[in-house]
Amino acid sequence: MKKIISLLLMVVLVFSLAGCGAGKTAAPSGEPAKEGKTVAILTPYLASVTTNEMVENLKSQVAKRGYKANVVDTKSDFAQLASRMEDLISSKVDAIVLVSTDPNQLKDQIKKAQEHGIPVFGCDSGYIEGMVMNATSDNQAMSRMVTDYLFKTMNNKGNLVVLTHRPHPGVLKRTQELDALLKKSPEIKIVTEQQVQVPGPIENARQQMENLLLANKAEDSLTAVWAGWDEPAIGASQAIEAAGRKNIVVVGIDGTSQALDMIKKGSPLVATVKQNFPGMAEIVVNQMELVFQGKPAEGTELYAPATLITKENAGK
Amino acid sequence: MEERGKLNGLRLLRMYGTVIAAVLIVLGFSVLSPSSFATLDNAVNISRQISFLVIIALGATLVMAVGEFDLSVGAMASFGGVFSAKLAVQGLPLGAAFLIPVGVAFIIGLINGWIVTQFRVLSFITTMAMGTILGGFTFWFTGGTTIFEHIPVGFRYVGQTEWVGIPILSFLMIMLTLIFWFVMVHTAFGRQLYALGGNEAASRIAGIKVGTNKNLAFAICAALAALAGILMASRLGSAHPTGGNGLFLPAYAAAFLGMTSFKEGVPNIWGTFVGAAIIGILANGLTILEVPTFMQDVITGVIVISAVILQKIGRR
Repeated sequence: MKKIISLLLMVVLVFSLAGCGAGKTAAPSGEPAKEGKTVAILTPYLASVTTNEMVENLKSQVAKRGYKANVVDTKSDFAQLASRMEDLISSKVDAIVLVSTDPNQLKDQIKKAQEHGIPVFGCDSGYIEGMVMNATSDNQAMSRMVTDYLFKTMNNKGNLVVLTHRPHPGVLKRTQELDALLKKSPEIKIVTEQQVQVPGPIENARQQMENLLLANKAEDSLTAVWAGWDEPAIGASQAIEAAGRKNIVVVGIDGTSQALDMIKKGSPLVATVKQNFPGMAEIVVNQMELVFQGKPAEGTELYAPATLITKENAGK
Repeated sequence: MEERGKLNGLRLLRMYGTVIAAVLIVLGFSVLSPSSFATLDNAVNISRQISFLVIIALGATLVMAVGEFDLSVGAMASFGGVFSAKLAVQGLPLGAAFLIPVGVAFIIGLINGWIVTQFRVLSFITTMAMGTILGGFTFWFTGGTTIFEHIPVGFRYVGQTEWVGIPILSFLMIMLTLIFWFVMVHTAFGRQLYALGGNEAASRIAGIKVGTNKNLAFAICAALAALAGILMASRLGSAHPTGGNGLFLPAYAAAFLGMTSFKEGVPNIWGTFVGAAIIGILANGLTILEVPTFMQDVITGVIVISAVILQKIGRR
């Protein structure tokens, strides 16, 4: 008897927990409300500051139009990403937005969404056939912006550490642009390229940098650090500061508030490029509105312009 | 006589509590979301989604049956997927691209077992280290990027094709479950594994080859993990260097959930299957109900703990 009661309690608990999670937004029957449009926001990187910012922006933009937002995060798990996308298609959402996701890993699911008439948008993801469009910063342009600035600061020579994460499609493009620019500056030598672990990029970059500093103790052995995005730049900058090393500069990309703060205060981190996340979210939601009205989107890759941030304009 | 009947009832409940919980969860979701969850399409969805988890958890069950752990299964799945995709890109026949990594994994599993049995190192440590080694190789092979370019179309066949409306993945999952159920229950090898897990010293005296049997359990576990990773790569049409890592903890959660049913307190094949199904159904149903991701984690954790506690209550 005890066993039956406990079993029932367990199941009741599950559904009441499920209820308090969904309850506030779902219709009384538990089925998602169908009067308004439901927009699913799917990402594997919600723990990353920039992705999170983008998701928040999307949520507010979506709410402004009177649609309902539903955020699904899979914590860097790509197999789950495919499964969750299938679930969203089953639950007949009105649109799916992939945030910071390589759509190449969801080819099958994107095709399936298309078959079910669910438009798929990308926000800082990438565009492949079957999707409506993707809004992003021009990663190549951003990388060029900050890399040009860095190379100028280095007087086009010295020893460079690269902290990156090539599995991320946007970061990959940035790193490839760096590769291209490096070919034009033969006096800049790569000390090492390290793949930063995600999640936990700040701590991981900090540790990697600490080790690199120990391995390169001579005054001029390290000139600069190029980070694929702000979080490893912050970690590397912290390590350099803690080690009391001067003359090593760090650049990042994204323009997170922590990075801006460090640039303003004066730290090894000297420059970043501020991505226009609200702009991207706005582009996606604008295009979504067009699609809901039965019109085509204005393009498949739309860019929100970015700004280079240095000490001069970090406070603004 | 009456006493006996009551005892049997309790025993039945104890043995099938997890199955009953699974049924109740399915009923609950069906009531809450009749038009999305309780559909044939979604059942097919779930069966495909849990196939990797079931396959990797079957291997974990074998290793748990001999009283050991293999913590490298997640890394092995990533390794298998990447290795196989690489071979396919190189233009090897697909059969070879699928089977070579499974064979290599089998050998790595044998090495795991050999280290554990020969040097009496804790399997916890051995396999954790092996997982790290595999992670390193995986990153080396890929340079950290996702492999998706030049993957032949045929590579996706197994992962993305349906026969008579049922995914090949689901057929494979059922077939492997049946095979391993047969092996564990009806062959000398299976019974020896259970004997070993029950009492290693006694088994040794009884003439069971402890080393050989354990090594085989580790080898099969590793091969199944690699297979799960390969199938995942085939389904996604791409291989991510950490793609399989997310399967590791759910695989053990499934096996532990499984220990609470059918054969009490003993890892068993059908139990693991039901355990994996519960985890997969929860993830699917909660996403369809638009329960936020963080709440899904809380619920899944609560279920695993409740199931284990339930079993203890039943035993008193």
